[in-house]
Amino acid sequence: MSSPLLTRIAAEHAAALAVQPAGSPTLAHRRSALQRLLARGLPTGRDENWRYANLRALEKANFLPATAVAAADLSLPAPIEGFARLVFIDGQFAPQLSAGAEALESATVSRLLGELPTEDQAFALLNEAFATDGADIRVAPGTAPVDIEVLFCSSSPLAAYPRLNVQLAPRARLRLIERHVGSAGAAQFINSAVRIAAAEGASCSHYRLQECGPAATWTDTLRAVIARDAAYHLHLLHLGALSARSSIDIELAGPAARTRIDTVSLADGQQVHDTMVVVDHKAAHTRTDENFRGIAGGRARIAFNGLIIVRDTAQHADSAQSLKGLIAGSDAEIDLRPQLEIHTDEVRCSHGATTGKLDEAMLFYLLTRGIEPEVAQRLLKWAFITDVVAHIDVPALRTHVQRSLASHMQDAQSLEELLS
Amino acid sequence: MLIVEDLHVSVGPTAVLKGVNLTVPTGQVHAIMGPNGSGKSTLSYVLAGRPGYTVTQGKVTYEGQDLLALAPEERARSGLFLGFQYPVEIPGVNNVYLLKAALNAQRKQRGLQEVDAFEFLGLVREKMKLMQMPETFLSRGVNEGFSGGEKKRNEILQMLVLEPRLAILDETDSGLDIDALKVVAAGVNSLRSPNRSFVLVTHYQRLLDHIVPDQVHVLAGGRILRSGDHTLAHELERRGYDWVISEAA
Repeated sequence: MSSPLLTRIAAEHAAALAVQPAGSPTLAHRRSALQRLLARGLPTGRDENWRYANLRALEKANFLPATAVAAADLSLPAPIEGFARLVFIDGQFAPQLSAGAEALESATVSRLLGELPTEDQAFALLNEAFATDGADIRVAPGTAPVDIEVLFCSSSPLAAYPRLNVQLAPRARLRLIERHVGSAGAAQFINSAVRIAAAEGASCSHYRLQECGPAATWTDTLRAVIARDAAYHLHLLHLGALSARSSIDIELAGPAARTRIDTVSLADGQQVHDTMVVVDHKAAHTRTDENFRGIAGGRARIAFNGLIIVRDTAQHADSAQSLKGLIAGSDAEIDLRPQLEIHTDEVRCSHGATTGKLDEAMLFYLLTRGIEPEVAQRLLKWAFITDVVAHIDVPALRTHVQRSLASHMQDAQSLEELLS
Repeated sequence: MLIVEDLHVSVGPTAVLKGVNLTVPTGQVHAIMGPNGSGKSTLSYVLAGRPGYTVTQGKVTYEGQDLLALAPEERARSGLFLGFQYPVEIPGVNNVYLLKAALNAQRKQRGLQEVDAFEFLGLVREKMKLMQMPETFLSRGVNEGFSGGEKKRNEILQMLVLEPRLAILDETDSGLDIDALKVVAAGVNSLRSPNRSFVLVTHYQRLLDHIVPDQVHVLAGGRILRSGDHTLAHELERRGYDWVISEAA
């Protein structure tokens, strides 16, 4: 990454701060975040963990964020029944489009205007330096899980810095839908930051849908710390954006903490999707299940880098990785990297990674049953990801995701039966 | 129904079929027997249109049309069915969805409306009963986690639902115990009709005790060396294939 880019970021940052009211409580930490970013620099393609990300897209990005909620004529996706909804337009909270959060029994939702603690990660610092709004969600234990949908919608050609801080008290339960959608035309830069802390025995199902506009550049930093006996299930769906990069760090901090990460990435045309997931097993009897399914068509590139670290304090840790890529375009590329870093003997870690084309034997079998070749191919693509999607345990959301996937596979109609 | 004339087929550089001649009239059941590696499965695959098999000579006429000019799905839609020796598992594609999609593809070809959902389920349930398959099979992935015998039954179930004009069953009997063999045979027999033909590819005579063929052909070394009525199968069971091969030499 060139330093002219950092210079431009610094200039746009100064312009962004100039429109803030003097003495605003957010100014100090935003300045400090920028300084830390300038000191550490942005990652480059030479960094091993960033070689598949399309960092060049940043050269064209506009970092200056939108400051006012734009047009009200946005068509938002239908709400998920039973879920409170928080809507952010271009990173700014839109109370008139949000509903239900006040009525939540076991959760407090407020605006995140101040600092979101960050590690020294470049894009988290970039978010910290520019973000002005976000959601802070605190969940207490209750009779039923708390259901919240946070919708981030990008509508202007300016940048957006979505952010979430989520804290679960001991034994609290949360189902969190985090969706990123965007309008078709604008080449937005969206840089999101999410922090999750799950205390003892808490459980969090986190459904993240990246359905940004086709010209968008999307980066995000997600960090989750999972305490003793707590569970964190992340569903990550990459469908949109021209370039998308997810950096995910999950720390299994307490004994018997467990996580499951189910990722689906569908890319076509010139799209680049890169996901890096690091799970750090720090305590005994911790467990990770990681599944990835990617389908790359056209000239798309998909990468998934799954690093599992097992510390010497994590005896009897258990991890399973299943990474699968399907190449559906003649110039498409998929890179899967399962990595293990093990510092103790008492562990059980399994991993598998395969990339290939559609299975000829399966295809022929379907043809001999009279199925059209195009339909057969789509069916097999569908079959390839469906086991991962099946783990979405909010039926309305699962249906939405299935329809969305089907329409990405340009087969909404003939797959309709399959979904009903 | 089916006329195969001087069919030569290569797989890569290897010639597998070296001049097969076979005529299966409408309404008849023909068995093709032969030792391992004789080209039985190759013949089945070529008739169904599997890629990777090159026809170097000869022709195949199916109901008056040039079969080899049709794509696999077109052959299927015009009533040709291949029961696989090793049915493929397709996790994620629902069994009942495949059945319905396959049936509707054929109906469309015949200018018929899509099958009514209620009627369809009734039909499938009836055929499943005949094949002694539990209903839970319907909601599972195609052949996913099925035992060898279950897969073969599933092939016959598909055949019963699709009611093909010509069914080619490639070693449907292999890997079946005697009870499953009877179930499969009953399924095939239930579909025998003056309008329908069968080609049974098999290694053993066992299946032919339950499905009595009109003709038996011995395929060895890429050619049909001998044809006869169903008693030929018994003779083969008793004497093996070597005498046919040495007599033909």
